[in-house]
Amino acid sequence: MHIPDGYLSPQTYLPLYGASFVFWTIALRKFKTDLSVKHVPYLAMAAAFSFLIQMFNIPIPGGTTGHAVGAGIVAILLGPWTAVIAVSVVLIIQAIVFGDGGITAIGANCFNMAVVMPFVSYWVFKLVKGEAVAGARLYTAAFLSGYTGLSISAVVTAVEFGIQPLIAMSPDGRPLYAPYPLEIAVPAMALEHLLLFGIVEGVVTILLLKYFIKHEPDLIYAVKEN
Amino acid sequence: MSFIDNGISHLGKVIRTGYIQWELASKDGFFQRLDARIKVLFLVFFIIIVSLKREIVPEIGIAFFIFVLAVLSRLNLFSFYKKVLSLGFIFGFLIALPAAFNVITKGEIILPLLHLSKSYDFWIYHVPQTIGITREGISGVIMLTLRVVNSISLSFLILYTTSFSDIIRAFRILKVPDAVLMIITLTYKYIFIFAKTVEDMHLAKKSRMTGGISNTEARRWIAGRIAFMFKKTQQRCEEVFKAMLGRGFSDTIKLYGFRKMNNLDRAAGFSLFFVGVLFLCI
Repeated sequence: MHIPDGYLSPQTYLPLYGASFVFWTIALRKFKTDLSVKHVPYLAMAAAFSFLIQMFNIPIPGGTTGHAVGAGIVAILLGPWTAVIAVSVVLIIQAIVFGDGGITAIGANCFNMAVVMPFVSYWVFKLVKGEAVAGARLYTAAFLSGYTGLSISAVVTAVEFGIQPLIAMSPDGRPLYAPYPLEIAVPAMALEHLLLFGIVEGVVTILLLKYFIKHEPDLIYAVKEN
Repeated sequence: MSFIDNGISHLGKVIRTGYIQWELASKDGFFQRLDARIKVLFLVFFIIIVSLKREIVPEIGIAFFIFVLAVLSRLNLFSFYKKVLSLGFIFGFLIALPAAFNVITKGEIILPLLHLSKSYDFWIYHVPQTIGITREGISGVIMLTLRVVNSISLSFLILYTTSFSDIIRAFRILKVPDAVLMIITLTYKYIFIFAKTVEDMHLAKKSRMTGGISNTEARRWIAGRIAFMFKKTQQRCEEVFKAMLGRGFSDTIKLYGFRKMNNLDRAAGFSLFFVGVLFLCI
């Protein structure tokens, strides 16, 4: 889901940088008006943890393996604003060091995976969980939070791709950026995430939450907040 | 490949990337000698130029210019272009290829591939009677591939000639707060420390396994390991905070400044800017 350089026109990547910038500013303000020494290792820890979640390949029914993005479970464990910073830092490092995602697309990738995904996951979890602190309702909330967060984030990404032919086309009809229109980009991205990757994300969220509820329930931000 | 082997190969890639970057950044070439601030400004300026260009010829010109810079920086061209072209092939060419067909990009068919008895309409989709590659479609695919290849090669040119901490510190020139840069630097260091821990876990598990394990058991093991990493990162966070206090950190975070720019930095900065403006104009 990492958008590389070259796929988004400046008319798209600049506003998305702006949107992400607003969320980064609010998130950093949440950690007091100025970042204190104590918050720096904490946020770095959160970021390293969200990177490490992606290092674990999970066996998926059908014989293959896949990894989760982890933004949803990070939002549940540490809170959505911590997730905004943590996942953004990971995406910036991935773009600069590993070539996963483009530099012009950092704003877009952060908006999709570090803003949309944690907030959708967190609110779906809170909504479905209600007052439950254990049991089937809590685990259903965990699954739906990972599943919905990733799927909606994928659809937002697909819309960003799909509007490119509308925004930037040469006079001879040649696509200048992402070439697929909305009617192709949205179903393609939505289907693969609804049928496969969303399930992986949901399963990882449920497995991790189950472990934390059993061994470290006091560490879960979304449960502590009740 | 099992989930354990997949995990190990994924982690191996992370550790290898860090090592290669560290090794290449310490070579003595043209870009390695430049101030990191010049390189970061060059990267941002050229990546924007690459994204603004709408014709194939200027993109080829930029590709050639990056090649010259890679030669001057004494990079191993084979491994540099192997990585750039393989990523460019996957993220540029392969993903965009279906857009070369007239089913997606309308236009003049230059290579007809399939002739159906009639055209079909399905909801909002239209399948024409003759399916083939269009001039507009293939030119869009070439343009996108070139843009992806150029952007990736610019990023790797900087990455392979500059240490990570210098790149991050140079972002101060774009007014990124020091505290944010410190979070990124610390995260980068944590990632390498913990990637090694995760790799050890996988290897330990692999060495204890004589047969296969069920998927359910594998998923439970992974959940336990991720939770363990969470505890470990939290513990490390507290240790780092205590160490920072012990070394006299106050409540304000300030990164060390850069050395003064020399004549080579100024001349290179001006030349790179001039070439960039030329590419913008053509």
